[in-house]
Amino acid sequence: MSTDAPAEDYLDLSGSGRVHLFRAGAGEPVLFLHAAGGAGTWPEFHARLAAGFDVIAPDHPGFGKSDDFPEADDITDLVYHYLDVLDALGLESVHVAGGSFGGWIAAELAVHSPHRVRSLTLLSAAGLRLPEYPPADLFATPPEKIPALLFRNPPPAPSPDAEPDIDAVLAAYRDSTALARFCWKPFMANPKLERRLRRITAPALVVAPDDDRVIPAQHAKRYAERIPGARYAEVSDCGHAMYFEKPAEFADVVSTFLNEVNR
Amino acid sequence: MKFSFFHLMPYPYLPDDFDTAYDSASLTYPNRNFDPEQGVQLYQRYLDELEYADVLGFDGIAVNEHHQSTYGLMPSPNLMAASLARRTSRARIMVLGNAIGIRGNPLRVAEEIAMLDLMSGGRVDSGFVRGIGWEYFGHSINPTKSRARFNEAHDLIIKAWTSDEMFSWYGDNYEYRYVNLWPRPVQRPHPPVYIPGSGSTETMQFCAEHRYAYMSVYAPTKIVRRWFDGYRSAAADLGYTPDPEKIAFSVPIYVADTDQRAHEEAKPAVEWLYNKGLKQPRQLVQPPGYVSPGSLRGMLASGLRGFAAPYEDIIANGQAVVGSPASVAERLGELHEQLGGFGQIIGLFCIGTATHAQVMHSSELFAGEVMPALRSLGVSAAPAP
Repeated sequence: MSTDAPAEDYLDLSGSGRVHLFRAGAGEPVLFLHAAGGAGTWPEFHARLAAGFDVIAPDHPGFGKSDDFPEADDITDLVYHYLDVLDALGLESVHVAGGSFGGWIAAELAVHSPHRVRSLTLLSAAGLRLPEYPPADLFATPPEKIPALLFRNPPPAPSPDAEPDIDAVLAAYRDSTALARFCWKPFMANPKLERRLRRITAPALVVAPDDDRVIPAQHAKRYAERIPGARYAEVSDCGHAMYFEKPAEFADVVSTFLNEVNR
Repeated sequence: MKFSFFHLMPYPYLPDDFDTAYDSASLTYPNRNFDPEQGVQLYQRYLDELEYADVLGFDGIAVNEHHQSTYGLMPSPNLMAASLARRTSRARIMVLGNAIGIRGNPLRVAEEIAMLDLMSGGRVDSGFVRGIGWEYFGHSINPTKSRARFNEAHDLIIKAWTSDEMFSWYGDNYEYRYVNLWPRPVQRPHPPVYIPGSGSTETMQFCAEHRYAYMSVYAPTKIVRRWFDGYRSAAADLGYTPDPEKIAFSVPIYVADTDQRAHEEAKPAVEWLYNKGLKQPRQLVQPPGYVSPGSLRGMLASGLRGFAAPYEDIIANGQAVVGSPASVAERLGELHEQLGGFGQIIGLFCIGTATHAQVMHSSELFAGEVMPALRSLGVSAAPAP
């Protein structure tokens, strides 16, 4: 694990706002696109990945410490946003990895600009519309029930008597608002994505936890079927929080894949 | 003071295990619990009550829009207003309001209100609301677009009502190449607009800018006072003092012959309203982006919580006014003082499980004894804070 604190930076994107990002490690560049949760943090998984790669972890528009970019309001806007981010970083191509919502963005990016994606790693990615297997509606879920959906083994709940921290509530509401902007309808999906996945040319790895209560495992399996040559892996005893619940295992699976791709 | 008879048209027949078996009276409360045979009776009864309010001399009869809820059975308030337009002759018909934030086609709202205005001989008041949070789930409208959709729909509707030339509309949310309203409303420049508010500073400013009537929703007196003050101060910033009639206090009211009888009869009905009908988890009421960060901060800081409360607290907090005619008149006068003044009372007379006979008697006592006592109140402008 890279124990160095990551560098924190802001990218100015042509006047429309600033993107906050963490960056650490050396080697092949890996653009890591965070899930609905986790913006503005540098968790253990990232540090482990940074032991072998140059990990770049931006906050999406409206999340964490990035600006709102209010003009962006659908998944296509996010694809162009990340093309702008790559341009601003001066990177012609990168390895792209993403979890859940971030996995969806990663897949769309690889569909749109295959030549800019050296490899694609999807961790229980959202983005496919499988009406028989809808994602859980976290927007409609009472906050106290969310950990049981995210984790196979939920961490202990905070005391219900604890006075809510208004700033923390506002920050969570902002992240959730940004997510809803892109995901409310169509719900967590781009109905056109599935038939476009054949455009992906990069080596691809699809990873799913074995007990995902948010995005049913069928989504990962469908991604693996539709992306040409994709590999599929499972991490056991783990829920949708994935790299938060099993950081070492996820870092191992992803690093192994990236090392193979680079050989 | 102007007085209106407001109806929610609740579906009061909840199962005995409602409190434990269901976490919401809206959105997810299963519709297998709706008995259409009861529904037939309820619509007849509720429309009779509204029509009777016209006979009793209420200045307005009011309906609103809710979806997928036992709290209110009016997905289309305009259908109710159409029925009332032909069966009443005097009272204003107040649609409080159309939930233009969740409507796919706001031009349709402009058309329907124009029709109602003509059918009623110019008696329509047109309220606009964004729609409650759960309705953004129910109708699959992105709540982060709520304010923008509301504002744009409003601008389009007003222009459609007032323009006598065909125009095109290209907005972020709606596009029309041909807007040419037939029929046009009879009231000029357009039917009066009412906006119910529940604490968003954006709504207060919007109302003040357009000089629309600002109407409270059910909340404790100290919180409603903040809202009314917010509206008054937004108007003061624009250099004017709102006419008292532009501030409407909305509250459940129950009148009986004696205080004791009133409280005995009102208690279960009021408890039904606040503890069952308004049972709605916070994440459904405030979906992401539905409130702005500034408004959310204000709401959290003001301590606004859910509706559930014991009857005594509801009464003490001014969230229902119950008693003999003399007590109700006195209490409303007191609230008028505590709220810094208002020029309209929009009373909910059919509260929760109240029976038809109770609603009719309560309305009669209110019209006959309370209205005359309060009529002169709220006719002079309240000072801005």
